[in-house]
Amino acid sequence: MSSEIYDIGYRHYDGPRLGPGYATRALTLHSLRGIFGLGRTARSKIMPFLLAIIMLLPAVVSIAMMALLQQRGMAYSAFAVIMQPVIAIFLAAQAPTVVAPDLRYRVLPLYLSRPVAVVQYVSAKVIAMTAALFMLVALPLTLIYVGELLIDLPGPPQTKEYLGALTVALLLSVLLTAFGLALASLTPRRGLGVASVIAVYLLSLAAVPVIYGTLLSLNEDAAARWAWLLNPFWLLDAVQVWLFGSTPNSEGGYPPGPAPALITLALIAFAIGVLALRYRKAAAQ
Amino acid sequence: MNTVVAGITYRALLGRRRILLLLLLPLALIGLAVLLRLTGGADQRSAILLMQNFAIATMLPLLGLIAGTGVIAPEIDDGTIIHLMSKPISRPVIAQTKFLVAASMLAVFAAVPTYFAAWLLVRNEDGIAFGFALGSLLGGIAYAALFLLLGVLTRHAVTIGVIYALIWEGMVGSFVKGAQNFSIQQWAQAIADQISTSAFIDQTAVTIGWAIPAIVIVTVGAVVWAGLRLRAFSLTGDE
Repeated sequence: MSSEIYDIGYRHYDGPRLGPGYATRALTLHSLRGIFGLGRTARSKIMPFLLAIIMLLPAVVSIAMMALLQQRGMAYSAFAVIMQPVIAIFLAAQAPTVVAPDLRYRVLPLYLSRPVAVVQYVSAKVIAMTAALFMLVALPLTLIYVGELLIDLPGPPQTKEYLGALTVALLLSVLLTAFGLALASLTPRRGLGVASVIAVYLLSLAAVPVIYGTLLSLNEDAAARWAWLLNPFWLLDAVQVWLFGSTPNSEGGYPPGPAPALITLALIAFAIGVLALRYRKAAAQ
Repeated sequence: MNTVVAGITYRALLGRRRILLLLLLPLALIGLAVLLRLTGGADQRSAILLMQNFAIATMLPLLGLIAGTGVIAPEIDDGTIIHLMSKPISRPVIAQTKFLVAASMLAVFAAVPTYFAAWLLVRNEDGIAFGFALGSLLGGIAYAALFLLLGVLTRHAVTIGVIYALIWEGMVGSFVKGAQNFSIQQWAQAIADQISTSAFIDQTAVTIGWAIPAIVIVTVGAVVWAGLRLRAFSLTGDE
């Protein structure tokens, strides 16, 4: 296989070629480690681990409540909605570290001169960020569930709720990753990437109560429920209500039916499309 | 104040994509105000809801973050700050100039749209528009100074600023009332509360007698510290 560009007379490599699949997996693992600052300086580990520890605090409180008071703390279905600022900050702080340096130092052509293609490069980044976000949410949920099994509360364990929350956490991670990476890849500057991701999240957070309150005061209750879907966390909560029949974590519930799930899929497709267009352009540079 | 430094900073802030972010938030605020106006929800209650939730609690810290860190952090990141610092301009003057640029940006992109959005909803009733605009202006000045300092102190200025605005001012402030004393948002709300006579503003946790001195101390302290910090600044290696 002679896919290399230059042959400047060095001895050739005759060993096994591991191929694009291996390269993609290696890039995914490298990006995932980079998100948590593993293999980088101590200073870049502070932020991701601090946020991960903050995510674990409610789990610890929940387990303590179950052990000492024999009652459940935070519901599985409510975890992501309640912890949404922390998850959003993690996304905003770490999404630019996944995509920005390669764009900024223009090393993308170096990757692409190897067996890795643009599609594989982008999917490696998306998978790494999704996995990081999923771990961030799934770890505390699992901790609570294990605690619940060990403490043996009265009544059956909430396995269905736990698995439902995990499924929705995965969907949420995909949605957040797609948007976070698409926004972060638009600028090669890390600080600006952080600011733009958090700005879009805060817009979606702050617009909800204003629109909901106004529509409610006009007695448009049915229309008011759609306002919740502007925010990704409540959108996924609506999906969870539709798929698993959990209790809504919003005032007044959500619009019924599969609409939230369809919106989620459309948003994911849109953001992936933006990401693909961005990298098509970046690869051509 | 050095006009050349100010001109360069304005150009760097306004000439790039940062301007899109600076415009996005005020446009969203005015868009929401227009939406409320069109749906007939334009009363004092919804105006104050919009002002408190959106203008002060969301837009102001974010714009403060973008403008405050934006005047200096990219230069430090790129290393081009060395060209500025090797000129015979006093470093505290550089810090003061950058602060003035950031503060003026916040006046234009935060305080003016805040006044306009409130004016769209309730005109000049009970001083709501003026109160929130002044709160936004003074709060914006404090944010600009604080985030400028953060930009000089650390390369993670934006993330730390977001954590301060979201976790400390948002989550902690709503559970622990004492934390609101150290929240720039609450100081801005206190000013709005003081000026407006509307009955729909809840009593804020912070009094005006605390808010004004706090804003002055934070602003002056942060600008002076940023100047001192720049005097002994060393460009360390990137991570």
